[in-house]
Formats: sequence, C-alpha cells, structure tokens
Amino acid sequence: MKVSLNDLVKKFPASDSIAVNHVSLEINDGELMVFLGPSGCGKTTTMRMIAGLEMPDSGQIKIGERDVTFLAPKDRRVAMVFQNFSMYPSMTVFENIAFPLQVLKLSKAEIQQQVNDAAAIVGIGHLLKRSFRQVSGGEAQRVALARAMVRRPEVFLMDEPLSSLDAKLRVQLRTEIKRLHQETRSTIVFVTHDQEEAMSLGDKIVVMSKGEIQQMGTPQDVFFKPDNVFVANFVGTPSMNIFDATIQRADGGLCVDLGGLTQPVPAHFPSVSAGQAVKWGVRPEAIKFSAAPSASAVPGQVELIESLGSRQEVFVRAAGKLFSVILDALLPVRIGQSAHLRFEPDSIHLFDAQSGLSLASKPQPKNS
Amino acid sequence: MRKPIYQPLLIYALLIFLALLVVIPLAAGALTAFKPQIIWISSPPTWNFVPTLENFEFVLIQRQNLLHLRNSLIVSTGSVTMALILGIPAAYALARFRFRGSKGLLQWLISLRMIPPIVVGLPFYVLFQTFDLRNNHFGLMLAYLTFLIPLVIWMMRGYFVEIPSAMEECAMVEGYTRLQALRKVVLPVIAPGIVATALLNFIFAWNEFFLALILGGRETSTLPVAAGTYVGRARVEWGNLFAINLIIMVPVIILTIFLRRQLTKGLALGLVD
Repeated sequence: MKVSLNDLVKKFPASDSIAVNHVSLEINDGELMVFLGPSGCGKTTTMRMIAGLEMPDSGQIKIGERDVTFLAPKDRRVAMVFQNFSMYPSMTVFENIAFPLQVLKLSKAEIQQQVNDAAAIVGIGHLLKRSFRQVSGGEAQRVALARAMVRRPEVFLMDEPLSSLDAKLRVQLRTEIKRLHQETRSTIVFVTHDQEEAMSLGDKIVVMSKGEIQQMGTPQDVFFKPDNVFVANFVGTPSMNIFDATIQRADGGLCVDLGGLTQPVPAHFPSVSAGQAVKWGVRPEAIKFSAAPSASAVPGQVELIESLGSRQEVFVRAAGKLFSVILDALLPVRIGQSAHLRFEPDSIHLFDAQSGLSLASKPQPKNS
Repeated sequence: MRKPIYQPLLIYALLIFLALLVVIPLAAGALTAFKPQIIWISSPPTWNFVPTLENFEFVLIQRQNLLHLRNSLIVSTGSVTMALILGIPAAYALARFRFRGSKGLLQWLISLRMIPPIVVGLPFYVLFQTFDLRNNHFGLMLAYLTFLIPLVIWMMRGYFVEIPSAMEECAMVEGYTRLQALRKVVLPVIAPGIVATALLNFIFAWNEFFLALILGGRETSTLPVAAGTYVGRARVEWGNLFAINLIIMVPVIILTIFLRRQLTKGLALGLVD
C-alpha cells in the first residue's frame, strides 16, 4: 500500500533541535524504501511516526487513502521489526508468531496454518516449539520477521533489524529480506545507517541528515549523482575525495583551481562563474591510476595502501593533496612508487561551497 | 595464577561463623519455646527436657493470639496487595514516561523510605484519631502504604527499565493496546520481580511494630504488638515470648523457602549481568 508523508514535523521536548523537519515523501505500493542517515538524523523517528509510536507535531501520514496520522499503532495495519527486540521471551517461537493473530479472534486451525506458513517462508518451521533461550540471534530475528508477516500488514517497517547481528548473518538475512520483498512485492520501509545495506536493499533510498531529507532516489542516483556534499560524503566507502576549490578564468574559459592543481570545468556544470568558491569531488573508484606518466595526468606518489580484499585502497599524494584511489587487489602497487592520476570529466562533482548543493545541470528532484 | 587452597576455606569459615551468629540465638529461642515453664530461665540453661506445646497452647488459646494472627494476615496481605496495585502502574509510568517533575517524584518517593516510622508516628496518631482510623485494619494498611508504595515503585521501576520498550511497542503495533501489551508481554517477563517485591513488602508489613502499636487497638493489634506484651516490667515470659516469636517467624520462613527460586530470580532481575 502506498504511504505518503506530508510535511511531517517532530520536536522532542527534551532536545533543542528538531528531530524531523518538514519531511514529505511518497512510498509507492510494493516499493522497498530505505531511510539512510547517521544516528540522530530523524530516520527512526520518521518511521516511528508511520508506526504510530510517535505523534507528529504537525503534518499528515496516509497509508493508501487512509489518514492514519493520529491513529493508535494497533489500528494502522502496519508491522514493525525492531533493532533491539526480536522475541517475547515468555513465549515459544510458535506463540510468538501466533501472538498478532490472537487479537484477531481466529480459529485455532487458522492460526496454526498461518503460523506454519509464515515460519516456513523465513525458514524456521522446525523451531516452532523452541523457547527464547533455545534460539540464536539470527533465528530470533527470523521469528520477528515471521511475526511481522503473519498479520499481512499493508506496510512493513524495519528499524535496523540486522544491526545487532554479526557480519555474516547480516548479509545473509539482508539477501533473504530482498528475496522476500521480490516474492511478495509488499511495501517495506527499512531504516539503516549502513550505506552498503541501503544500496543493496533499496528500490529507493532517502538520505537524511539533521531531520531533513538530503536526497531521494535510486541507489544509482544517490551514488552517482549526489545532490549535495553531505550525500556525496555519506554514501560510498571509502568516501568521495572532496577538496575546496575556486573557479578561475583561464584562456577564454573557466577552470577549477584546487590550489596547486588546476582542472577543467566539465561540461555538465554550465552555471558556474569565475570567482565562485566550490567543492570539487571525485569518487575513489573513478580515478584512473597509472604508473607511467601521460598527458593530462597529475603526478604523485603512493603513500599508503590498505587491502579491502578483492580491491585495495591506495592513498596517493599529488599536488599536495591526499587522494584515495580504489584499485584491483591484483594490481602491483608499492609504497613510494610514482603514480599518475587522471580524472574523467564525467566523474567530477562540483558543489557550491556555501550551500553544499550540487552544481550539476541535471534536473534536481524536488524535495522538502 | 591459581588461588591458594586456604582462601576458599577462610571464606567458608567466615560464612559459617556469621551464620552461627544468627542461628544460635534463634535456635536457643526456638528450643525455649518448647520448654516447660519451670525451666524457662533455669541457670545454666537445660537442654535436656521433654518438649511440650503448652506455651503455644497458652499464647494461642488463652491469650487469644489467633485473633492477632488473623489481624497480621489481614493487614499484611491487604497492604501488600494495595501497594502492588497502586505501585506497579506508577512504577511503569515512571520507567517509561518523562513528565514534568518525574525525577523529583522518584527522589521524593525514596526519601519516604528513609523516614523512620517513629517520625510520622505522632502526626499519624493525630490524623488517624481525627478520621476515626485508629483500631481499624484499613487504617493500619493505609499507614503501611506510606512505606510500601515507595519500595514497590523503586523495585518495580528497576525491572521495567531493564525491559526494552520495544517489547510493548511491538505488541502495540501488532494489535494490542498499551495496557494489554503490559499485561500479556511485560508482566510475564517480570513475574519473578513481582514475587520478590511482594515478599519483601510482606516481610516489612508482617514485622512492623511501632505503627501497629500506636495505631492499633485491642481488636486490631498484630502479632508483633502482641509479642510485646510478654515483656513485662517485672518479668519476661520467655517461653511464651519465644512461642509467639516462632509463630511470627515460621510463615515468613516457609514463604521464603517456597518462593526462593522466584525470589533469587527476581532479585537478580534488576542486576546488570
């Protein structure tokens, strides 16, 4: 079911800042929408308002055509999976999954049937008689998923459901959630601070900071076309290389002066003007690295190498700046060797130094 | 490094010594309760005697202590029940919600616990006299609530704080009201805590002497007050005194043994592991 948030505002009495500041967005039916941001950015508060666990100070929440803004959580037909809570400890796995059905006054046989179905989907059919003490953390989180599914909610809300699990399990369950979503095509809102998780799960990602939406778009949009410096910095590991720069006049055209390094202004930034203070950015993956010099390459020296498994992060000092470059792990690189970096115009990002907004000419999705 | 062998021995020796310190007077008293009157205060004490129930018969039947036992039961269970009914919801509210003055309220509650009953004795006497609550079971229960409710709130609040609020929130999203969520998912988890709280409160009410003395009367005095009457100005009726003391102690001991698994679980519940 479609979810619409309209100009939501929430302020907590105990804090000075606004937790959620004029947030508006639409989540389409069947979409997996990820709220991504650092802790305290308002993503969880926004989700809790959809669940009804917090009431907004102003604004409106609609699920489908129903206005649920001030409805009690129990009447919203949503299900929620929590970060720090998975199973009711006083109940067995079966009783846990049956718990949301009990309030619906179904027959015993119906409950049995639906619990079995839900448990089978998340692969815990053999654990139904176990107690809380007899299941692992991953299994308990599957119980939470089954309990969420069994009510056939209109919207699934998942508040960092994987962050308390160990790395391997986290990736495994992440894949299963993705698969579940593809099979059931249910509407899911997924909150996380882990941008890798957001990238791999989301049909769309909403990047939030300080209670405001920074950007909303597909994972590709957010990664390749960040709307502002915050998104550019937050999304992607390792982070984008970003340096302060000014736009200068140079033989008839404009160029970017990074201080000790001059780069052309790529064609997709038609609006920059001479003298403008900007931030110049390039992703570590997009930098062309070569040991041999070439015409437009910037010479430098390898300072540090970190292995990332199949890839390596190489830090190159060039023109007095430290660039992070991602290379294939098999490429032989030594510390101290000379390196030549080339920047493709297409992969360059320019942001206004003051507002932090992207200066690219692409149509900016309007938000907030 | 391995601990030297004598270390646990020393600890056990100390524990046994401390246990004996408590047990010996109790055992001597308990035995005296079964002594015939002749040898109550024989010196040196005799331990070679035919046990008799005449002291118990005397205090229970002749001195009508069955009535006082009944009073004790009514006042203790009544006040503990009321304290739990009023205290648990308050503890939940103080654990889950922040509201104007919630912190101050908690501190005020604990300060009530620190007041010795004797401080409030006189004002209570005047108040209870005015409102005709003296020599009245309900009146004594009310007086006890002053001390029981803070204890209930502080203990229960600790248990509630330990439980992630997501537990009730999850139940609320799954179709239940907050009150239903509290009853169906939270209370079962902290049941041992409720048992521990109830027991500690029961012991307080059961043993309480001072308020019962000044606020009770002939018909409503409790066992501790009755026990006091065996200590006269001229002499102490040792055998009778220890008989009634045993009657006071045994129910609590049985209750504690009966509930000890719940109790240890409950007392450990609030601890961070």
